[in-house]
Amino acid sequence: MKPLLSMKGATIRFGGLVAVKEVTFDIRPGDLFGLIGPNGAGKTTCFNLITGMYQVSSGEILFGEDCINGARKLPPNKICELGIARTFQNIRLFGALSALENVVIGGFLRSRSSLFSALTLMPPAIKDTRALEAKAMEYLKVMDLEEDAHTRARDLPYGKQRRLEIARAMATNPKLILLDEPAAGMNPQESEQLSRTVRRIRDDYGKTVLLIEHDMRFVMNLCERIVVLDHGEEIAFGGPDDIRNNPKVIEAYLGEPV
Amino acid sequence: MRFWGVRLASIAGGIGLAVLIHWIALSQLSAFGVRLVVLAGLYVTLAVSLNLINGITGQFSIGHAAFYQVGAYAAGLFTVKVFSSQPLTFMLWVPVAMIVGAVVASAAGLLVGLPSLRLRGDYLAIVTLGFGEIIRILSQNLKVVGAASGMAIEPKMLSQSPMVWLCWLLAIGSIALCRNLLQTAHGLSFLAVREDEIASSAMGINVTRTKVAAFVLGSALAGAAGGFYAHYEGFLIPTQFGMEVSFIILTMVVLGGSGSITGSVIAAVALSALPELLRNIKTIPLATVIGLTIGVIAAVSLGRRWSEQLHGPVRDRVLKLSGLTGLCLGGGYLLGLGLRALPALSEATTDGNRIRMVIFAGTLVLLMLVRPQGVLGHREFGLGKWLREPAR
Amino acid sequence: MIDVTSLLVAGIEFGSLPQQLLNGILIGGVYALIALGYTMVYGVLRLINFAHGEVYMLGAYTALFVSWIIYGRAQDPVTVVWYALPLMLLSAMTVCALIGIVLERFAYRPMRNQPRIASLITAIGLSLLLQYGGQLFLPVSPAPNISGKVNPYRDNLTFYLTQPAPSLVRAADALKPEMDKAKAALDEQLKLEKDEFNLSDTGLALRKEFFERQSAYNKAQGEAQSSAISITLPKGQLIMFTVTLILMAILRHIVLFTKSGRAMRAVSHDFDSAALMGINVNKIVTLTFVLGSALAGAGAMMSATFISGVKIDTFFGLLPGVKAFVAAVLGGIGNIPGAVLGGILMGVAESLVVWAGYDQYKDAVAFLILIVVLLFKPSGLLGSNKVEKV
Ligand SMILES: Nc1ncnc2c1ncn2[C@@H]1O[C@H](COP(=O)(O)OP(=O)(O)O)[C@@H](O)[C@H]1O
Ligand SMILES: [Mg+2]
Repeated sequence: MKPLLSMKGATIRFGGLVAVKEVTFDIRPGDLFGLIGPNGAGKTTCFNLITGMYQVSSGEILFGEDCINGARKLPPNKICELGIARTFQNIRLFGALSALENVVIGGFLRSRSSLFSALTLMPPAIKDTRALEAKAMEYLKVMDLEEDAHTRARDLPYGKQRRLEIARAMATNPKLILLDEPAAGMNPQESEQLSRTVRRIRDDYGKTVLLIEHDMRFVMNLCERIVVLDHGEEIAFGGPDDIRNNPKVIEAYLGEPV
Repeated sequence: MRFWGVRLASIAGGIGLAVLIHWIALSQLSAFGVRLVVLAGLYVTLAVSLNLINGITGQFSIGHAAFYQVGAYAAGLFTVKVFSSQPLTFMLWVPVAMIVGAVVASAAGLLVGLPSLRLRGDYLAIVTLGFGEIIRILSQNLKVVGAASGMAIEPKMLSQSPMVWLCWLLAIGSIALCRNLLQTAHGLSFLAVREDEIASSAMGINVTRTKVAAFVLGSALAGAAGGFYAHYEGFLIPTQFGMEVSFIILTMVVLGGSGSITGSVIAAVALSALPELLRNIKTIPLATVIGLTIGVIAAVSLGRRWSEQLHGPVRDRVLKLSGLTGLCLGGGYLLGLGLRALPALSEATTDGNRIRMVIFAGTLVLLMLVRPQGVLGHREFGLGKWLREPAR
Repeated sequence: MIDVTSLLVAGIEFGSLPQQLLNGILIGGVYALIALGYTMVYGVLRLINFAHGEVYMLGAYTALFVSWIIYGRAQDPVTVVWYALPLMLLSAMTVCALIGIVLERFAYRPMRNQPRIASLITAIGLSLLLQYGGQLFLPVSPAPNISGKVNPYRDNLTFYLTQPAPSLVRAADALKPEMDKAKAALDEQLKLEKDEFNLSDTGLALRKEFFERQSAYNKAQGEAQSSAISITLPKGQLIMFTVTLILMAILRHIVLFTKSGRAMRAVSHDFDSAALMGINVNKIVTLTFVLGSALAGAGAMMSATFISGVKIDTFFGLLPGVKAFVAAVLGGIGNIPGAVLGGILMGVAESLVVWAGYDQYKDAVAFLILIVVLLFKPSGLLGSNKVEKV
């Protein structure tokens, strides 16, 4: 099967620090893919490279056939249009807007009505807005947020904010969705619930999922394939069982040989 | 079908309101009163258009008067050069000239916006300030627009019957455009850019294009207002559009609450009258100014302390705080009377013209210290709520 | 095809280029002093301190008042005392430092937890408040200036880079005897005249002749002079530049080699982490304002004293302030050597515009530079290209 996303030796330097070094892996359509590693390993930086927030120093990243970061460097909004959406480790919602509005904005990039029709409130703009709102409501339901649709995003509790970010990302109708520590700060029940939801996103909505998570139970139960980063380098790749028993991984996490 | 019915009704309502204002102004008010109504209309347009850039899209522009000026000069020059050789009557001509002003001003907006809007917020402030200076220097030196001695616009509106309806139609139109925009998903994308540029771009919003669109649209509206002003005054000199004007518009937007259209409108109507009214106050004892300033400072600093400790219903708190404010202001006034006993201050006076900018500047600073989100915050006020209803 | 360069260059005298470059560097020193304040405050607080130009303005007023205290309001002080200039400099620096502390403590510090835009609006408001509020209390009309006589170093140093063309010198010298002769004749006649203001016909004729010969001589003399390339350097401005360099050296020492300087660099690198590491952030921010404002005060005192004929009003700081800010951006905002480089470049750019004959556009060039910098190198000449952390 052709990969959906391939990292080909992606590298980025910040001054003297090589935050991500020659990282290479493929994600196939329909994967539930995990990206793990200790703090500061370069996981979030990988997300930033994939979504075009940072530009690679060398190597390249392909999405399907298209080069998105490398020889050609697409801006984040173009990459999102191609079908990659993300959440942020340090939540970045549109704080003053309601949950529903946040999700509507997620869907906006697929809207075709013109600015002119919005300014004059013509039928295309109204229809588009209504359709986006209906769709947004649906995503809020999936994330179990429909009761909070009209609450300001910054007034929501932390766990709900995380879920709202996922709903917003879903609304862009991506092929690949990147989740940066989605379970951070959640209690075991919430985390369990989230795990089911993420699986649904893949199974019912057919999205490919790439996720970063520190909660090992969460990752090992959910992900089918996992890449481990340490100090920007890829140190292991495989299924949950391979990773669990990989001495290099244990060393990276515990800081000493086993 | 129903859509078009409602639409036509609201357009008719807008035009009707403009005509009503025109009729009331011309039949009931003195020449000075009419002037205030016209200026209020222009400032509503300016404040609402700056609010689109500043409050809704979150781009901190502080040189809005420059676009007003570009529009005024462009429209004025166009009339001077072209009017005599074309068939339109003056009444039909003015809107055409305003469109010319809008187009040229929006081109200027594009010119300034493209390089600076790709960058972080603070730079835009300086670039727009600088653009204002460039425009001022150009207008003072270019012979075609009369350089420093100014340019007469011929023909101009008759002073006994200015087209008040036209300037209020523009104001109402600007309000309608912004309000319409906020009803749609498109408008939400502008708000998203204000809230978080990085998240917006990750959600597929073309951040630069959104900012430039807001900037160009805001400049166009300011340019149209300038076009009206040119034909209303009949004479343009560079000093009419200094940094002062930019800061007055900015104060209106900030005071009304960035992002709140109704806030901008109310603040614009209230503040546009202030400079004109102050201009007529000839002598104010300096001692009173000092006393009142001290009173205001006391009210603000005590109020800040106090409001953190106050609890209970909103009404009680508002009452207590306004009591405190009244007390401080009264005390300040008395202090002013006392200060007049000092020999250095007994004779010193100032005039309204000189303290108006002090009032604006003081308002800005105190407002930031007390309530940075503006009087209305992001919210819409009463009528505004009603305006927002239909789309949601 | 029209040769554009020849059109542009027409009317330009290359001989005056060195002079203009020098003028640019001298005024650039003042811009650099102001720019340092902007850049340091931006470095620690990420705030454009719009009121910095007004601190500069108040520095000029302080110097003015001190000169009035020393000499009275007399436009031409009879005797010039040696301690006047140092006292004016020190008091301007001190007063500005105090103003900086007050602004920071009462206006900017309460804003620190608010969105950035709130501090920016506060800064703009303060700047306006000082400009317009100052008009109520400070002498503005007629706009005062510091008497040129306060400065004992008024004469010029002139350096010849090339000598005047000998043929022109000879031509001018040849006209001199005739002028002297006409003058002598006129003087003779004047002795005979009863009313010096009501000359007889002979007297009028002689005077006319003398004036003609004199203007011919002056013209030839002028031509000879301008065939030489020379630089005129007012001694006062030389002192101004020297003091500027000394102040910059002191600043460099403080920032690089003292404990507070190290703390300042830490705060500007990462405000929150510096606070967590036990640095007293408030103290450092205050110090930053003190240093920046004192430098602005020094720049204000010197430019108001040594540049002849500057009038002081409450808008005295507006343009220098904005230009210095652009200089800071040009050099890379937050970068101290960058501010100095940017300031000097800004001064030179401005004087080049004057030299090219567009002096009415002198004030516009700063903003053109700003736009060009933002287009091509937004991080400035010496600034590093930081990637914003996501
Ligand atoms: N914009 C940036 N500038 C400088 N260093 C950065 C930047 N972004 C990330 N880094 C550094 O890259 C390294 C990896 O960070 P990150 O990808 O956030 O780690 P994590 O695996 O915990 O998500 C860290 O050392 C971090 O400080
Ligand atoms: Mg991370």
